[in-house]
Amino acid sequence: MIKIKGLSKKYHDNVVLDDVSLDIKEGDVIGIIGPSGTGKSTLLRCIDQLELPEKGSIDLGDKEIDLSKKNKKEINALRQHTGMVFQKFNLFEKKTALENVMEGLVVVKKLPKEDAKKIALQELSKVGMTSWANHYPKHLSGGQQQRVAIARALAMKPQLLLLDEPTSALDPELVGEVLDVIKDIAGKGYTMLLVSHEMSFVKNVSNRVIFLDKGHIVEDGTPAEVFEHPKNQRTKDFFAKMNLMNQPDYII
Amino acid sequence: MTNIFDFKLVFTQIPTLLQFLPITLELAFISMFIGITIGLLLAIIKIREVPVLKQIAGFFISLIRGTPILVQLYIAYFGIPMFFKWVNFKYGTDFKVADVSGFVYAVIALGINQSAYNAEFIRAALLSVGDGQIEAASALGMTYFQALRRIILPEALTVALPSLGNSLISVIKGTSLAFTCAVVEMTAEGKILGGRNYRYFEVYVSLAIIYWVITIIIEQVLKIAEKKLAIPDQVSNYIPKEENADSSPAARTGFGGIRNLGRIQAPNKGSAIRIFKTR
Repeated sequence: MIKIKGLSKKYHDNVVLDDVSLDIKEGDVIGIIGPSGTGKSTLLRCIDQLELPEKGSIDLGDKEIDLSKKNKKEINALRQHTGMVFQKFNLFEKKTALENVMEGLVVVKKLPKEDAKKIALQELSKVGMTSWANHYPKHLSGGQQQRVAIARALAMKPQLLLLDEPTSALDPELVGEVLDVIKDIAGKGYTMLLVSHEMSFVKNVSNRVIFLDKGHIVEDGTPAEVFEHPKNQRTKDFFAKMNLMNQPDYII
Repeated sequence: MTNIFDFKLVFTQIPTLLQFLPITLELAFISMFIGITIGLLLAIIKIREVPVLKQIAGFFISLIRGTPILVQLYIAYFGIPMFFKWVNFKYGTDFKVADVSGFVYAVIALGINQSAYNAEFIRAALLSVGDGQIEAASALGMTYFQALRRIILPEALTVALPSLGNSLISVIKGTSLAFTCAVVEMTAEGKILGGRNYRYFEVYVSLAIIYWVITIIIEQVLKIAEKKLAIPDQVSNYIPKEENADSSPAARTGFGGIRNLGRIQAPNKGSAIRIFKTR
């Protein structure tokens, strides 16, 4: 059980997250949706301390870490328990796919090279990238890069995997392969927080959906509850707008 | 005067001058090393915005870039011994200043001079590495210095290499000023040779040739280094040893696989021409 408590973050006067608390059960796949600029990405980035929140803590079960303090030791401990997949992949440009996945194992976990290579190859095979192990990021398509990035995060055996709009920088054609991989790992019992605009995918893959608006969790429930019977007016408006967009231009 | 310009002498005295090439190169490479080390430190201080040190670094860079290297050499050569003599006098210490050779002062002055210039382009090279990669490294749990060593520096090196080459070429020519610190390197030896037979012009031409050739060699080495550091255009597929077969849904459905194979293993020029001819 991972507990996020009282997370608050503001940029100057703009409140992005306002006292957000979240209990995450092991094996939960939580989809986070909501309009742009409501702090979905910021929530993930605060959990991983890529942004420093004003207030808030995370309870990893065995220890509680204050997220608002810049304690290097604790930050690194926390980051080793969490894995992050970025919107823009952020692979290491000068390293091959294999080296990308090995990097954290060798540098952070201090594994011997051979062991790291073994694990890295296993992870690459999980995302279907074994044949591209020798390739550099610039040789790979966006979808392939994202799959390597997922392998890189998984190799660290994170307690919590954070996916920050993993498909929004991809061609529509390539979204499928990445979603397939995410669905696959979701089925393997990883605990995940998934920020995504792919509504049907979120509905499909997650067992719990959170709707964020103006830094508050306004809706929290199973995909069926949130998508089909939203309680909050803001959520209803959001889905109504989306349905309008999905409607055909003309009906005969 | 028999002939105004002794053409043969230009070449016959090159071997004599070359005896002093090692000193020139030693001066150049040691000061280059100092220059890169201090330059890197200054660049990191500026990027990380370390309080106090940042202001000192800015002041230092401004001071060094704002004064001629000849003046810096004189200041090092006369100033450093003077300072230690004063320390000896004031605190009763016993630094043997007189035993330190001019070479040391020349290297210090040239190295510090280089560092100020290097700091700026090293900073630019470090900043050229995207924030995303640094974030990814920290998300893995790497410290800034681990990320610096493993991720940022290898990529920044590619960016910095042309400027580093520039810097090395300029420091090699800068060594010709080391005579101000009583170091007899190539140019100083040339002046001595010229003083013997008053063929100053010929000796300067010889020196020009030597410096130019050195520069050409450095340029070529840099080109090779740049090629070595670049990410290869194509690499072969990884062939797993039996147990590591792909097992993901993406691999099973064959997503993207064939498309990419074509892009990476582009047909070579020869085959393209052949196709053209048969048509």
